[in-house]
Parts: sequence; C-alpha cells; structure tokens
Amino acid sequence: MSYALQARRFGPVNWIGCLSLLRRQFKNGFSDLHYTILGPVISNALYLLLFVIASSSLTQLDPQGIVTFIAPGLISFSIAERAFEVSGANLIFEKHERTHMDWLMAPLTPTERACCFALSSTIGGLVVGAAVGLMTLLFVPAQVVHPLALMFFAVATGMMHGLIGTLLGIWAAKWDQYTALHTFVLLPLAFLSGVFAPVGGMPEAAQHLIAFNPIFYLIDGFRYGVIGEAAADLRLSTAVAIGINAGLFAWVHYWFRTGYRLKS
Amino acid sequence: MSSQRTLEQAPVQSLAPRHYSTINWVGLQTLYLKEVRRFMSVATQTILAPMVTTLLFLAVFVLALGHAVDKVAGEPYMAFLAPGLIMMAITQNAFANTSSSILISKIQGNIVDLLMPPLTPLERTIGMAGGGLTRGIMVGVATWVAMVPFVPLSAAHPQFILFHALMASLLMSLVGVLAGVWAEKFDHMAAITNFIVTPAAFLSGTFYSAERLPPFWQKVAHMNPLFYMIDGFRYGFIGHADGSLIAGILVLLGANAALLWLTHRLFATGYHLKA
Repeated sequence: MSYALQARRFGPVNWIGCLSLLRRQFKNGFSDLHYTILGPVISNALYLLLFVIASSSLTQLDPQGIVTFIAPGLISFSIAERAFEVSGANLIFEKHERTHMDWLMAPLTPTERACCFALSSTIGGLVVGAAVGLMTLLFVPAQVVHPLALMFFAVATGMMHGLIGTLLGIWAAKWDQYTALHTFVLLPLAFLSGVFAPVGGMPEAAQHLIAFNPIFYLIDGFRYGVIGEAAADLRLSTAVAIGINAGLFAWVHYWFRTGYRLKS
Repeated sequence: MSSQRTLEQAPVQSLAPRHYSTINWVGLQTLYLKEVRRFMSVATQTILAPMVTTLLFLAVFVLALGHAVDKVAGEPYMAFLAPGLIMMAITQNAFANTSSSILISKIQGNIVDLLMPPLTPLERTIGMAGGGLTRGIMVGVATWVAMVPFVPLSAAHPQFILFHALMASLLMSLVGVLAGVWAEKFDHMAAITNFIVTPAAFLSGTFYSAERLPPFWQKVAHMNPLFYMIDGFRYGFIGHADGSLIAGILVLLGANAALLWLTHRLFATGYHLKA
C-alpha cells in the first residue's frame, strides 16, 4: 500500500461532503424549533379561525367550503416561507460571520452545493408544511385526493423557494435588501396568487396578471392534490413547476461555479 | 480660553452634581430622538413593509369575502375593514418598536446607554414610549395614505380617530416596553408575539363585526382591549361602533394609566435591567 501524497479521490459524487453540508444546514435551520414550527402553526391557525368567524358572521357562504379551499393554500405558503428562510437567512448570516468559507473551501462541486441547498430547504419547508397540515385537521376533514400531485407540488414549492432564497442570500449584501425583496416582491406574489380566493371570482384583469405568477401554479397544483380541483391546466402547472426549478437550479449552479459575491 | 476663565471664576460649589430643573429636557429629547432615529434609519422595514403587508391583508380579505358581503354596519366591507387594518398596523408597530429596542439593547449590552444617563424613571418611560408612539402613528398615517386610492375613507368624527390612534399606540408601546424588559431571548419575544399580540389583534373585530358574532365570541371580543381601540377608531371613520364608546375610552385611559405606572415602577426598581 502506498501512501504517496496525492489529491484525495471521490467517486463522481462526494457523498460524505454532501451529507456534512446537509447536516450543517439543518443544524443552522432548526436550532430553535418552537420558533420555526410553532410560529407558522399558530399564525395559520389564526388565519383559518378568522376566515371561519368572518365568513360565518358576515356572509351566507359556507365557512367549511372557504376553509377547505384556503387550508391547502396556507400549507403551500408555509412550505414556501420556510424553504426560503432556510437557505436565504442562513446564507446572509454566514456571509456576515464569514463562515461560508467552510463550505466554499470543502471539496464540493457546484452541483453538489446547489443540490444540498435545494434539498435542505425543501426538507425544512416540508417539515413546517407537515406541521401546518396537521393543524388544519382541526378545521377540515383529512383528505388527499391525489397524493402524487400533492407530493410533487410540495417538493416543487419548497425547492423553488429554497433556490430563490439561495440566490437572494448570495446577492444581498445586507439584511435590508433581503427583507425588502421578501416583503415587496415575494410576499405580494404569494398573497396574490390565489391562496385565499378562487381565481375564477376575480376581475378579468387580475386573472390575466395572476397567469404570469409562477406561485399561482404551484399553489393550484398543490390544492389539486388535496381537494382534487384545479383552476389551471394541470399539465401547464407541472411544466411551470419543472421549468422554473430547472432554470433556478441552473442559475444557482452558475453562481456557485463562478463564486459570484461569495469568493470576491 | 473662555472655558478656562469660567472655571477660574466659578465658585468651588460648582463641583457638584449637575442640576436640571424638574425635567431633564435635553436628556429626554435625546432619548426620544434616539428611539425615533433607530427605526427611521431602516424606514423601508419599519414603515413601508408594514404598509405593504396591511394592503395585502386588505386585498386578500376583500378578494376572498368582499363579493359575498352585502354590507357591514351599513358600509361596504372594504370601508369597514380599512380602519381596523390601519389600527392593527399601528398597534403591531408600536409594540415592535419598544420591545425590540429594549431587547436588542439588553442582548448587545448597550442597555447601559438607557440606564446610566441622568434620567428619572419617568423620563425614561416617556422617552421610550414616545418612540413607539411615533412609529405607530407614522405607520398608521402611511397605511392610511396608501389605502386612499382603493377605499373611500371619510372621517365622521376626527377627534375619535386621533384619540384612539394616540391611546392605542401609547398602550401598545408600553406593553412593548414591559415585554422587552421581561424577555431575555428572541425566543421569548417570539412567544409573546405569537401567543398574545397577534391573536389579540386578529380576534379583535378587525375583520368582522362583533355584533354579529355568537355570544361566546362576543364576550371574548369585549375582554380584549384591542377591540375597544379598533371599535372607537372605526367609529371615527364610519360613525358606527359595535360596543360602548364610553366604556372604550375608559378602558383605554385606565389601561394606559396602569401601564404607565407599571413601566415607571420597572424602570425605578431596575427589574430585569439592573440585575
């Protein structure tokens, strides 16, 4: 056996490195569980309670119908928020503390880094989404009409927001920029995407605008998985989900490869 | 030169604690301005962001329920909802300002900047609460202005709008001081926000008329001080109140007096601050 000094060799994938980066992401993202899980669970329960009280006291609408419609949207929304935060907030924090050197120096390819960021955010989002989903059972009967569609769109939502969070985390130099983009771009896109109201009932101009909102297709697909009704063509929603994620992944990969704002 | 001459001419007794009149105006003004500048330097986050989220709430509820609501209290749903949402923004931001200011100072260790200067507990109370009050009012005005293009808002009783906005903002900034003094970690503050402040705001009659609630929820609403803030504030706009206006005014005055006293006690004893 020779112990000649040479570069360490991995197979095509550095599995140990990937696992380490994933574990690191989880440790950063799930340090205070009751803050990250209980917060969304409570605020979403309040949203549902509000809609029950408001619709039953103000309108002739069936509160059950409204809540059944809104609940999947809220689950999808909480997956998105958490996934975004796992990668985005983490990255800015690490850039401030300069600890991102740890994974920039490690022998990982850009593909591996991008995969780990996408995966950790997706899982983080799904954990919160599952908790919020369990909470909604207080308001709506448990039903999943198309489990495959539900899983696909849940993962696509988490991954998309994880990748957006990664891009924003790489780009933003300060917390201000990060929160500004979140509040002024991402939050309006999510709120005005048909989370709370059927698109069919909106003015025509609003419907045309919403057709350009990618989050609308993700939420719509997810809702199709839960209640079996979709506003958009399911094939279109699937195509948007795959296309957006592929595009964002390529973008993240490019930035990791060139070291944009990370290695400079 | 001139300072030297003053020193020579000054009698020996001048080596004594510096004297202020009853109120240390310079110190009070400094503390107040520090509190205001703290949030103004990040105005996009502290003024614009709440304005945008409040508008989103308006859009969401009007889109989801507006088409099915005939009239609430004789008004279109939007005109009923808007004052409640403005008040919600005022209260949340008044609370956020004082609570985050004190908690962050405690964690970073610069709380001594509040405790060391020659300020009396009363001056500290007023300076801190004044900062939160200002933020609450500024967010309220910003939200109001942003809503004007979408919602026809008249002011039936401007004095009620002003009174309730000021009282609510003061009340929640004092609650924020208490929360900031009590909390030791961001977790504690998140717990207070998640379990107390947000539920109280959401279930206060912002989104629905308490008159039309089942008796149980009506009772819950009437025990919530935020209900009176929103109800009286909304009366200022649309001229209709769900509860008693006199009761609301008394609750707000009483709660503010009690909170001022309590905050003053905390600053005087140094509870959780000087330990």
